[in-house]
Amino acid sequence: MLALERVGKTYPNGVHALGGVTLDVDLGEIVAVIGGSGSGKSTLLRAIGGLDPPSEGAVVLDGERITAPHEKIGIIFQEPRLLPWLKVADNVGFGLGARPRAERAARVATALKRVGLTDKAAMWPRELSGGQAQRVAIARALVPRPEVLLLDEPFSALDAFTRADLQDHLLDLWADAKPTLILVTHDVDESIVLADRVVVLCPRPGRIFDEIDVDLPRPRDRQSAAFDFVKRRVLVALDRSLNRAAGAAEAEPKANAGAALWW
Amino acid sequence: MSLVAMTIAAQNARSEGAAHETAPAEPTAFRRRSRWLRPALGLALPVGLAVAWEFIVRMGWASGRLAPPPSVIFATFVDLARTGELQRHTLVTLGRVAAGFGIGVAAATVIGAAAGYSPLVRRLIDPSIQGLRAIPSIAWVPLFILWLGIFEASKVTLIAAGVFFPVYLGLMGAIQSVDRKLVEVGRAFRLTDIEMVRRILLPAVLPAYVLSLRSGLGLGWMFVIAAELMGASEGLGYLLIDGQQLGKPAEIVAAIVAFAIVGKATDWLIVLAAAPFLRWEDVVRQD
Repeated sequence: MLALERVGKTYPNGVHALGGVTLDVDLGEIVAVIGGSGSGKSTLLRAIGGLDPPSEGAVVLDGERITAPHEKIGIIFQEPRLLPWLKVADNVGFGLGARPRAERAARVATALKRVGLTDKAAMWPRELSGGQAQRVAIARALVPRPEVLLLDEPFSALDAFTRADLQDHLLDLWADAKPTLILVTHDVDESIVLADRVVVLCPRPGRIFDEIDVDLPRPRDRQSAAFDFVKRRVLVALDRSLNRAAGAAEAEPKANAGAALWW
Repeated sequence: MSLVAMTIAAQNARSEGAAHETAPAEPTAFRRRSRWLRPALGLALPVGLAVAWEFIVRMGWASGRLAPPPSVIFATFVDLARTGELQRHTLVTLGRVAAGFGIGVAAATVIGAAAGYSPLVRRLIDPSIQGLRAIPSIAWVPLFILWLGIFEASKVTLIAAGVFFPVYLGLMGAIQSVDRKLVEVGRAFRLTDIEMVRRILLPAVLPAYVLSLRSGLGLGWMFVIAAELMGASEGLGYLLIDGQQLGKPAEIVAAIVAFAIVGKATDWLIVLAAAPFLRWEDVVRQD
């Protein structure tokens, strides 16, 4: 189980990005983190991944405190970030460095088959389309069989069709080993298509504003009334999370000085 | 040049294909022919000029005493090669360049890597090196001769100094501009420092490094001439001086041709050696 205990982050330049986020995520759960700009979504994800350890509080995975990248945690970035000097297959196997060659080849082949890119194994990353490259990145992150997979706006750079396609694909892959997924997004539809729970952050500093359970059967119909209902709830929460940041400043005199800096 | 040449060649081929044969068989034939045609295009100008000069001298319109025609240069070249003179001088020069290039590259690689990797080292030594770089390397010659004598050591040092700067600059710049996002991928996969260097940094800087090696080698060839012109008893530079002093322009041109051949060949060796590691590069191909 992944536990965030009052995770906060103040950057060396004084920016208070994250103000104490407490969240428990069960194994195999899919959590979408959504929020306006400046709500610390990416900061939170980087803290969980150990890339930028929190300055307050702790990230604990299975009783172990995470302060650096961990083998049980995989990350998928907004860009594919494939290594251009490695063939697609070698990119997928990048995280398997220490394992025997045969095992590596077998696992890479399986992963490539799973993302439907077996025929691209011997290609260079530059020969792939954006969607294919991101699929390779997903395969690369999944091949070491992480317990937690972090996704930082993974589909935001893709066109709408490719995005919907990859969202379904991600769920397929998730169903294989059911790792915990934590997905940062600014796309409300995406959060509801994928997640069991949508966490709405409010900005400056980033805190949890609301949590909305998405209790819809999969595969989810983006056109259904139930989907729309949840979507409206998330949108309302998102809206209020942004308004309240301004409202809170008026209500609390103490916050006024700090808030004034931001406006 | 490739794009223009390709377009022109394609247009030619298209019109020829339409005139003679049906289209399907035509592209391979076109490709086969263009493999010879395109390099040949670049030869047209120098060969044309050479033939023209040969013709002018043969016709007696010019004496060709100070600017010998190609046939005389070729004869001199063959003569020098037959006596073994050319090989001896070329080998001596090649040896000097190899030694200077080796030392220069080794020093530049170590110092450039340190300066690129560590901001502290960079702040400490880069200003001094940039200051030294502003001095034309030839200016050091008198000092090198005082310190190291007039024989090999001063020549090799001069070449090494010439090679050092482009390689140092190229490597340091390349390391500093390695994509931070790819380094982060390395971190996410928990690479050790050594693995990070081997699997991320090294491949990332290789294209720029190879380029800097090539410009370093070019400078090496430049400085070997400078060194040999200033006093040598053998080497291609000596051949140049010898030709000047004895009034043998054909020997000078023959030595220059030898320079061109060896220089191009060594550059080509670097390209060839690096090619297997650089096939991933996303560049406009020249083929």
